[in-house]
Amino acid sequence: MRGRRPSLFWAACAVAGAILIAFVVLPAASMIVGAGAGLLGEALRQDDIRRSLWLTASAALIATAIAFVVGVPLAYLLARRDFVGKRAIEGIIDLPIVFPHTAAGIALLTVYGREGVIGRLLAPFGISFTETVAGIVLAMLFVSLPFLVDTARETFALVDERYEHVARTLGSSPGGAFLRVTFPQAWRGVLSGAVLMWGRGISEFGAVVILAYNPKVISVLTFERFEGFGLRAAQPPAVLIVIVAFVVFLVARTVLLPRRGRSRKDAA
Amino acid sequence: MLSSIHTRARPSTAAALAAAVLLVALGLVIVGCGSDKRQVKLMYAGSLIVPFEQLAAEFERSHPDVDVLTESHGSIQVLRHVTELGDRFDLAVSADEQLIPPLMYDRVDHETGEPYASWYCTFATNRMVLAISPKSPLAGELDARTWYRRLTQPDVRFGLADPRFDAAGYRALMLLQLAEREYDDPYLFEDMMMGRFTTPVTVTRNAGGVDVIEVPEILETQSGGNLVLRGASIQLVALLESGDLDCAFEYESVARQHGLEYVRLPSSIDLGEAGRRADYRRVEVKLDFRRFASVKPVFRGDVIRYAFTIPANAPEPGLAGELAAFLLGDDGRRILEEDHQPVLTPPRLDNASAAPEEVRRACGGSR
Repeated sequence: MRGRRPSLFWAACAVAGAILIAFVVLPAASMIVGAGAGLLGEALRQDDIRRSLWLTASAALIATAIAFVVGVPLAYLLARRDFVGKRAIEGIIDLPIVFPHTAAGIALLTVYGREGVIGRLLAPFGISFTETVAGIVLAMLFVSLPFLVDTARETFALVDERYEHVARTLGSSPGGAFLRVTFPQAWRGVLSGAVLMWGRGISEFGAVVILAYNPKVISVLTFERFEGFGLRAAQPPAVLIVIVAFVVFLVARTVLLPRRGRSRKDAA
Repeated sequence: MLSSIHTRARPSTAAALAAAVLLVALGLVIVGCGSDKRQVKLMYAGSLIVPFEQLAAEFERSHPDVDVLTESHGSIQVLRHVTELGDRFDLAVSADEQLIPPLMYDRVDHETGEPYASWYCTFATNRMVLAISPKSPLAGELDARTWYRRLTQPDVRFGLADPRFDAAGYRALMLLQLAEREYDDPYLFEDMMMGRFTTPVTVTRNAGGVDVIEVPEILETQSGGNLVLRGASIQLVALLESGDLDCAFEYESVARQHGLEYVRLPSSIDLGEAGRRADYRRVEVKLDFRRFASVKPVFRGDVIRYAFTIPANAPEPGLAGELAAFLLGDDGRRILEEDHQPVLTPPRLDNASAAPEEVRRACGGSR
């Protein structure tokens, strides 16, 4: 039953929400409008922009895939088990979020650069992280992995453990229970965390620019164009990546959005 | 297992904490908004960072009511920030005096209808060297006779400033072309540049005339090409120190400031000897801007000369004049020399009649 006060509350929520949405939409819209359809079409025809878009999207995808393989098990562990130092581990996973991006790039350089501990180890195999795609993937992975791990962990936590126990009593291994009981219920949340991570990856600048200025990801290209050629030159690549990302997010959300009552609650 | 989203703190404690944080944030915003110091904005070429940060600090000490705000980029960027990005600076300092006429005299400020600048003051010089990373196996191996051959070998990674954005970049290209005459190697430039860029940098030799180096608008390094490009030459220093570069073309002042070992190059190519102007002028670099600029910038080889101007739209021209006088005076000279930046004595003015009184005085009267 709704009285007058509850609807005032909802109205306040809507107003606050509208302000925030406007805050986001205004710069995005002004950029898109400022670039204009002609400029965007022209941009798509430019080799270096197309290459940069592809590089950015695919490097972020690789980083997300790596994080998926390594991060999902960790997320599951954090969701299910208690152990000494668990809070510290969770804090460490969130560390890349607070790292200033350029500082993260420098930190990665000292370890994975030509003279770094790992850089030197891998150099004989021809693996280099400076001025290479591998370096871009590394930087993106570092700064955006908390998004996947945290989201996956929360999702797993919401899946009722009892179902796993039931699976175990029926003879399943812990791994089997995870694959056949937990993950099917959790995959949407995990995937939405992956999409978030991908989005964070494609927008990274500070860490990437230190490790791998070349080949240029879209954020570096935009910066260089702005610095070197002015606003008009910088808008097309920036707008294109925003549009690409927006489309991806939209598709992901419509595909992944859990319908009410499914996969989040115990549907006995 | 309790999910971590279930907070253990009681709601009232959490609310109190949130309120406290918000109040502190608000307080910081209010405090930050008030500042009664006068500000002078200094925009300068990256290679000057060490002496100029010291200059700014000492100026602030002798002028306690003034805040010096500094920003640095490659020389071309420095001037474009004023003329194309609409930034307003009190002092703009370039590592190449010849950039100021085409990029500032010839550009008109739409707001005032006047050129962005109409004079400049040349105050310092430098020379190009090949700086070597302390962590490189090349340390001790390179010398003035053999460096160019070693650099073309696949295991050497060298760094270059982007010639489209930084004077040090096109100066390094000029150096390489001039080296052909010095070392009597007509293929030196191509050997050095082959396979380094996705769109190549080319040179057209005009026997007896001026060799023209053309830089494409989109300059991208080829992966595996072992050439590292950065928008400002100063950014190469960090890579030299970390060992991610074996060597890089840098200004001598910068190499000395950072304690880097370097190869001193022949004066016929290092752009540092006033008497060699005729040699240096035998090469020019043309930036092949097609899409973004109606003018294709051309830079002629010449002795390295650092210059500054006070843009016509400077927000604090009075303070700018004081800072300029400080730079040209005893204090400025001392700081520059301490930091291995060779000073031009006396400083020279271009179009002196347009320059403010303090600058003219500091340059020793008119002319």
